[in-house]
Amino acid sequence: MNQLILICNKWQDYFPITDRFQPLSSWLLCFDFFGCVDWMGHQYDVIVVGGGHAGTEAAAAAARVGAETLLITQKIHTIGALSCNPSLGGVGKGQLVKEVDALDGLCGRAGDWAGIHFSILNRRKGPAVWGPRAQLDRQRYRDFIQSELLSTPRLTVLEGSVEELLVTEPNPEEPGHHRVTGIRLGTQSVVLTTGTFLSGSLFVGQTTSPGGRIGDAPSSPGLSHTLRERLGLRTGRLRTGTPPRIVKDSVDLSLAKLHLPDSHPTPFSFLNTHTHCKPEEQLPCYLTFTTPGVERVVRESLQLNCHIQQDTKGPRYCPSIESRVLRFPGRSHQVWLEPEGVTSDLLYPQGLSMTMPPDIQLRLIREIPPMRRAEIHTPGYGVQYDFVCPTQLSPALQVKSTQGLFLAGQINGTTGYEEAAAQGLWAGANAARWALSMPTVTLSRTESYIGVLIDDLVSRGVTEPYRMFTSRAEFRTSLRPDNADLRLTPKGFEEVGCVSSVRYQESLRVRNSLQDALTALQALFLSTSSWKKKLPSVPISETKSTLLTGLDLLQYNDVTFEMLASAFPESLSSYMEFAQRLKIEAVYKPHCDLNKKEIERIQREENMSLPQDIDYFSLPVSLSDEVREILDRVRPSTLGAATRLEGITPAAVVNLLNYVRVTEKKKETHRNQRHQEAQRDEELCANSASLPQ
Amino acid sequence: MLPLRSVCGGIWRAAVHTVRTSRGAPPYRLLSSTCDGAPAALADADTIFALSSGHGRCGVAVVRVSGPASATALRCMAGFTQRLPPPRTALLRSITDPRSTEVLDRGLVLWFPAPRSFSGEDSVEFHIHGGPAVITAVLQALGSVPGLRPAEAGEFTRRAFQAGKLGLTEVEGLGDLIHAETEAQRRQALRQMSGELGRLYQDWSDRLKRCLAHVEAFIDFSEDELIEDGVLNRVDVSVRDLQAEIERHLKDERRGERLRGGVQVVIAGATNAGKSSLLNKLCQRPAAIVSPIAGTTRDVVETALDLGGFPVLLSDTAGLRDSSDLVEREGVRRALERVEQADLTLVVVDSAHLPSEVDRAAAFLREHLSSVIRISRCLLVLNKADLLPEKQRQKLDMELRGVSGLPAVCLISCQTNEGLKDFLTVLHSSVKTLCGDPLFGAPTLTQARHRAHLQRCAAALAQYQRYRDTDLALAAEGVRVAVTSLGRITGRVGAEEILDIIFKDFCIGK
Repeated sequence: MNQLILICNKWQDYFPITDRFQPLSSWLLCFDFFGCVDWMGHQYDVIVVGGGHAGTEAAAAAARVGAETLLITQKIHTIGALSCNPSLGGVGKGQLVKEVDALDGLCGRAGDWAGIHFSILNRRKGPAVWGPRAQLDRQRYRDFIQSELLSTPRLTVLEGSVEELLVTEPNPEEPGHHRVTGIRLGTQSVVLTTGTFLSGSLFVGQTTSPGGRIGDAPSSPGLSHTLRERLGLRTGRLRTGTPPRIVKDSVDLSLAKLHLPDSHPTPFSFLNTHTHCKPEEQLPCYLTFTTPGVERVVRESLQLNCHIQQDTKGPRYCPSIESRVLRFPGRSHQVWLEPEGVTSDLLYPQGLSMTMPPDIQLRLIREIPPMRRAEIHTPGYGVQYDFVCPTQLSPALQVKSTQGLFLAGQINGTTGYEEAAAQGLWAGANAARWALSMPTVTLSRTESYIGVLIDDLVSRGVTEPYRMFTSRAEFRTSLRPDNADLRLTPKGFEEVGCVSSVRYQESLRVRNSLQDALTALQALFLSTSSWKKKLPSVPISETKSTLLTGLDLLQYNDVTFEMLASAFPESLSSYMEFAQRLKIEAVYKPHCDLNKKEIERIQREENMSLPQDIDYFSLPVSLSDEVREILDRVRPSTLGAATRLEGITPAAVVNLLNYVRVTEKKKETHRNQRHQEAQRDEELCANSASLPQ
Repeated sequence: MLPLRSVCGGIWRAAVHTVRTSRGAPPYRLLSSTCDGAPAALADADTIFALSSGHGRCGVAVVRVSGPASATALRCMAGFTQRLPPPRTALLRSITDPRSTEVLDRGLVLWFPAPRSFSGEDSVEFHIHGGPAVITAVLQALGSVPGLRPAEAGEFTRRAFQAGKLGLTEVEGLGDLIHAETEAQRRQALRQMSGELGRLYQDWSDRLKRCLAHVEAFIDFSEDELIEDGVLNRVDVSVRDLQAEIERHLKDERRGERLRGGVQVVIAGATNAGKSSLLNKLCQRPAAIVSPIAGTTRDVVETALDLGGFPVLLSDTAGLRDSSDLVEREGVRRALERVEQADLTLVVVDSAHLPSEVDRAAAFLREHLSSVIRISRCLLVLNKADLLPEKQRQKLDMELRGVSGLPAVCLISCQTNEGLKDFLTVLHSSVKTLCGDPLFGAPTLTQARHRAHLQRCAAALAQYQRYRDTDLALAAEGVRVAVTSLGRITGRVGAEEILDIIFKDFCIGK
């Protein structure tokens, strides 16, 4: 019933299926599409526009959920391209990669395949904030993503550019509400992942040219026109930039500080036990610093740098070298020199994103000692692009006013591969569910960083490119990289349908083993003196309570699971593969228990959904105009989201209770609960005399 | 159907668990496991308490407790060591402080086991004597019971709704009540925040926010950035100092500034309308200087009154007008601040300024009100009625009675005492209504709430010290909890605010 039209134009040359890709049941097609009505009689459930990190995850997730999916991208050979830095993960971002992997997404496994330098950041700061990160080989990453997509059943890839998005006339009963329709390409849902391509323009020095990435045209103006004029979506403009790429041979790396990877690389994916790259084959990074000369060059060239003079919002945490020296003058700033790949002869100077004219870029980098004689391969440049204010989306990343239209990635005002991949996966899975007439699903901010990301976007919006930090997650100690599989894989299989049964079975095995191991640890119930005999090296104070469990012991700083397992081999040795996870679980358990209450309170409120068609201005309850205005602007989808809005009073929340719809499932459990409580009450009264003392 | 034994055992364990630390730990369950199907949602909630009756002159005060630890509160404060009392039956008991076992009061206790209670949870009611000292003592004793904390505004109602105890129509009415409740708390908080205590809390809050921002910067950025280890050492010092200061403050019996009890009534209006004369009339002594010169009162003049048994704190303020005089401008600022904090504002208008056509008076007053000040709860006092001709006075009186969009209007003369008696009746009934409002501006409750939040804040800072060297994520969690606890007194602190401090203090560039 709900269909969507995409008019695709300017298809490139017909591109035959090549031997290299060997698609199983999927298609690799490239052909002139214009005027092709109902192409080959094929009906697609979901069409994904864009082949970046969001688009590839979206297409793969939609296909996994069971939708016939079409991915349309400008150039097939740039699918999975790393447009900026050659790295994946990091603090906060690594958590997102682990979660995408737990939901059977691509980027974790792609990182394990393409990584050439693995390290866990924050190793000394506690497992909740560990940041798994890898330098990547650009070519390998692209190859992996492309071959994964092309071997995904139900997924077709098309090369071309989307001219326009056609939608129905708004329903007269609900002004401003459209639904997407389709004639040429029958489809139910569309996922737009336009990245920096939506009305994109590139900046180098004083030159501006339309484009989404160097060498690539922006997306069609018709697309932005439809979004803005036809659908009436509020859009804004953001900017970002990328550094020049340096010829490796022209850099004197002996003048920079060598930075080695972890000697035992840790894979991102829960399915992998080791990385593709052998530990000893990993490549190092190098650290160097800016000099006063860099600041001088920036100041002298300011008038030649129109990107930096614009007032469009750029990211505060990934600023260009221009904004860094202008905001914090007189300092020396870090510059990381990172490998671009095993065979690449380029270096990526992280921290030197710049938009001045190319000759001045060369002058600037030559102010840094190891690059005194450096050559630039490709100059750095800035990009400005349109984004859609994400408060117009539902938590399923669907445009509230247009049924079947989903947005993911930079189009929602975020920055970063990991943020894009996370949204792509979630939007793709929901687009598929929508197309297949299944209810859309949401992730709570209490259970995942993806939930935090989406909730922040749809309920607060963005004022600058949004990046994930661990400090954004209130329940950081519960949402750890090590337990992403326990948190998300079962849900991904049982409720979303985006997880394969192989992964699901594995996650169940892991969960059961961990639970058994923890039960076994609790069953070790010994007196302090017996523990002292068993573990003579551990300083157990005598004044502690007389009985301690194995779990208590594992919370001690200097006790490892290995030590306990060698003391009690019969009950514990079979769990050795989980030694590290068990240690982390034990240390965090008391804190997670404390978090749990608050998490449950939030989840209860998130189960109370607010109808999207309330007219907040005419509600016959006592709400101030200010509160009505906020509610009308943001249109929170749940009571929980409303509670977190700035300016919403407890009274307003209580008044909203009136309009709450508690989801069916919850009502069911609620009824059971009340039933049990009623029973308990009766029994309590009947047995109050026999309560033990 | 659940086996009987396990149900009773479950309750018993929960109760004991909160009193002493139980070693009979329940079977381990992974937090993240999603197959966790136990309907623990309600059973695991915090237990909350609040004064449910009004303050002021009342014989009996009702303190309500709701949540799983209610039975614990009953056991350790009403001496039910053997068994709980029969449900829904009032018993006369000595109510004791669980820490000192000192008897605080003798009163009625009622036990409402779930689900047959107002909130659907286990609940207890203490009916105690209405004096502020007794109420404070009982609230503070409840705050010391493990697992109990003061209720947030509207919390009882929300719990009742979630337990399916309230119909939707009932919620609507309660929404209004809670609106009043939060308004009263907001005004109470504003009063304190503008005082010395407020400055102290705000200072702590600012310092804590900075500590948190620096720890978070160290966690989220230090690997890639130039954030020196020295940052954490400075945080260590700050956290240690803050913890010591807060603990000292909690031990100090006087706790800085005394909270002012009573209904805050503020007299406001244009210059020379007779505000100070009204104050002097009400307190029956020349507390404020009166003169025919506009702008005589420049500062706030306060007097405590007993109005028919209800405590009232009456303040006279500077006349509102634009002035180039620096001192007068400050007076006007203070006047507006006072109005913002007031429970009830008496807007005094010079009757001689009313339009001579009586039918235009209502519109004039409406406009006057909105142009002078935005006040939700106020009375309009038309002073200098003696200057009006008798006929106009009568017509005005008729015209302004029960006009929509206007508060109650009283026509008086401070010169001749005309209309003063009627005005006092209106004022008395307004104050009475205010005092009957549960939770309204009760300083004892605010005190108990502050104390609980400060205690939690100090305990959380101890967690930072404990984990500082072994797990910075857990240490940061301590500072976060501390910031949120203090934020409940000073106002919410969001993640964005912390990030703003990070970006202001550090050059972050990936």
